[in-house]
Amino acid sequence: MVFGFTKKNNFEGGGLILFGSVEEAIAAEKILKEGAYETKLVAPPPALRKGCDLALEINLVEKTGVERILRTENLPFLEILPVKSGSELLQVVQVTDFGSAIMVKAGNMKLTFDRQSGVILNVSGGGCPDIPYLHAQMLDKKLAETPRPRDKGYTLCALMLDRAFVESLDIWSNGRK
Amino acid sequence: MFLICGTVPREDLPLTLGEVKFLGSVISLDGVEIPCTQGTAALISAACVTARYLHLPPPRALLVGDDGTGKGSRVLYDHLIKNLPALSPVVLLLHYMLPVMGLMKKVCDSASKAKKRPFMIADAAAMYAAKAAGLAPSFDIFTPDLSEMAFLADPDAMHPAYVSRHLFESDASKIPELVAAAYRHKNAAKMLLVKGSTDYIASDGKIIETISQPEVPALEAIGGTGDTISGMVGAFIHGGLRPLDAARVTFRANRTAGQVAGATPATRISEIIEALSRVFEKHLDEWIKT
Repeated sequence: MVFGFTKKNNFEGGGLILFGSVEEAIAAEKILKEGAYETKLVAPPPALRKGCDLALEINLVEKTGVERILRTENLPFLEILPVKSGSELLQVVQVTDFGSAIMVKAGNMKLTFDRQSGVILNVSGGGCPDIPYLHAQMLDKKLAETPRPRDKGYTLCALMLDRAFVESLDIWSNGRK
Repeated sequence: MFLICGTVPREDLPLTLGEVKFLGSVISLDGVEIPCTQGTAALISAACVTARYLHLPPPRALLVGDDGTGKGSRVLYDHLIKNLPALSPVVLLLHYMLPVMGLMKKVCDSASKAKKRPFMIADAAAMYAAKAAGLAPSFDIFTPDLSEMAFLADPDAMHPAYVSRHLFESDASKIPELVAAAYRHKNAAKMLLVKGSTDYIASDGKIIETISQPEVPALEAIGGTGDTISGMVGAFIHGGLRPLDAARVTFRANRTAGQVAGATPATRISEIIEALSRVFEKHLDEWIKT
């Protein structure tokens, strides 16, 4: 049984894009709406205010795809951040040594590669829909020959996988020196 | 009906509802074959193997292709919002989908309109959306790993990528504290199945059981080993087991399947699922009795 989609749902985002000028905010809204992203022009809360008095609310989870489209379209923005002040994107990673394999964990994502060959053995964790895609694209490929997850994915899970990927590549490259 | 909802990495798959067939390396839905890899396909595969052993019909699945843009996810949310009362599943399992808080609220509202509210399980980004939207107590089971447990314990985080550093750096010994914090902030389902080097079953803010044998450290590296847990526990509950018994048997089965498959960091989830039948054959009757 196959179904269609008929009605756009209400939007509740949790992320804000801050801009230097009102014109930039309006231009970004137009481009993102054309890309089927849900957005809403809002006044940023005083604690987060930088640049102009207009911000764009987005679904924070879609930060990776939103950033890519804005950069591709040469639309300047100051920052993308959560509406709830105080939250910061995780920067730390954790490394587990399995002997012949190394697992790097960033946030909710884990990437495991072969210590000698640099071949990606497994990708685990996460929950956003781009992760099974990235999993299929990355498995059995060498780290040095694999596109960065942030260039292919759309979500915060993809961004965390990118952190794990960059660290893995660094560990593997240094291990060969 | 045991209904599993999620997205799969096939852009050409429109929203499709039907009974799933497990065919070893793939699952089949309405004639479309989907590889049994990490994500909702692994979850469905484990649920099918479990249902088959329990002599139950296979689960039904509501699946859609989504490459991460969220277009398929929104179609899925929309269908659930409109049709959940009519579908009226006994067990509803929500899995890989773009987390959209407003839409998850509507899905929960729709579930409440069913003649009998489904037993609600959320894993992956469906769990992220439920927590971020303040809906966690509406769910019967969440199945987080350690990093996701830190996310549930953090009252401000919208996604595990925004967890406070000190919570992210908590090791497994801190799980009881993370569990307590998640319940204190009303960010936990009625029962939590926390998967890791030791598996924890928690309810009402307390750990009620731990399972740590057999030890198979490589399971953490294998993509899909959390998905199999969610699929099995849903199938066991649909088969009539009490949630605590279902959780206990599920954790034992997942670990033992890893051991039987000789899991290494390079093992694929299909190998673990393939081992599940043998594990059930050998141990399940005894485990259910104890």
